[in-house]
Amino acid sequence: MTLDRYTCLETVRRLDDYLDRELSPAETTEVERHLQTCEGCLRRFQFEGAVLDDLRLKLRRVPVPENLEGRLRAILSSRGV
Amino acid sequence: MSTASRPDDRSAAPAGDAVLSPDTAAPEQVSDQEFEALLIDMLEPAYRLAFRLTGDKQDAEDLVQEAALRAFRFRHTFQRGTSFKAWFYRILVNHFYTGTRRKRSTMTSLGDLSDAHEIFLYARSADAGLLRADADPSAGVVSRMAEDDVARALATLPDEFRTVATLYFMDDLSYQEIADILGVPIGTVRSRLHRGRHMLQKQLWRIAEELGIVPETVDSSAGEG
Repeated sequence: MTLDRYTCLETVRRLDDYLDRELSPAETTEVERHLQTCEGCLRRFQFEGAVLDDLRLKLRRVPVPENLEGRLRAILSSRGV
Repeated sequence: MSTASRPDDRSAAPAGDAVLSPDTAAPEQVSDQEFEALLIDMLEPAYRLAFRLTGDKQDAEDLVQEAALRAFRFRHTFQRGTSFKAWFYRILVNHFYTGTRRKRSTMTSLGDLSDAHEIFLYARSADAGLLRADADPSAGVVSRMAEDDVARALATLPDEFRTVATLYFMDDLSYQEIADILGVPIGTVRSRLHRGRHMLQKQLWRIAEELGIVPETVDSSAGEG
């Protein structure tokens, strides 16, 4: 594990962008190089990634009403669209 | 659902897209049949997004229907090769802001959430002794919460953060696509999304405390504000 605290802080500062694949290729390489040598940051990143996956999974679990398409078609038709 | 009409219906079209008159059909336009197919494919994801925005089944269905009607009315402004999802979601979100009055009983103030930071849940979990070296990262606080509890946490965020976070979680959208939908710079999306996620973590921890999933935090900064 690296003892370079600044590097850990800089890495965690890029956590959100890294998980969203919004970093430049050069920044991504820097972050991953740090994660290869820093168990603490790696665990933080894994934790945050798992939290985001859980949130997506749960929030997207929304039952869709039956015949949504049919009702829309009826409304479009009734309004002459 | 009450609908407040806007003085200029051009606002329904994505920014930067000129509203064409019906007799100036451009070659980039899609046919009515193609447009209908695109719209039908978007209904289910749009309903899920609308439900998380409104928090109500009927309001969500009304919102999708009104957005679909508006989209059909302005279909000539959609151009082939551009993102239909971003175009339609922008109409839906605009209509949500202008036409829907959400039933919200609680919204947490910004000040109450301002101390949320990048690894709030991780730090709280570690403080509470919930993280072990051999622990499965997916067996965390959120995975033990019900969908409704997670949605409740999201619903309490201040509007500007909640909308960005809802778009982010409900669909696989890039920051640029969210920026296009909301008509704001990508930097605004980035900062609102990051802050919104940190705030959400704090709210999730509060709800997990209420549910007894995690032990009550003694530190007042994580308690009720």
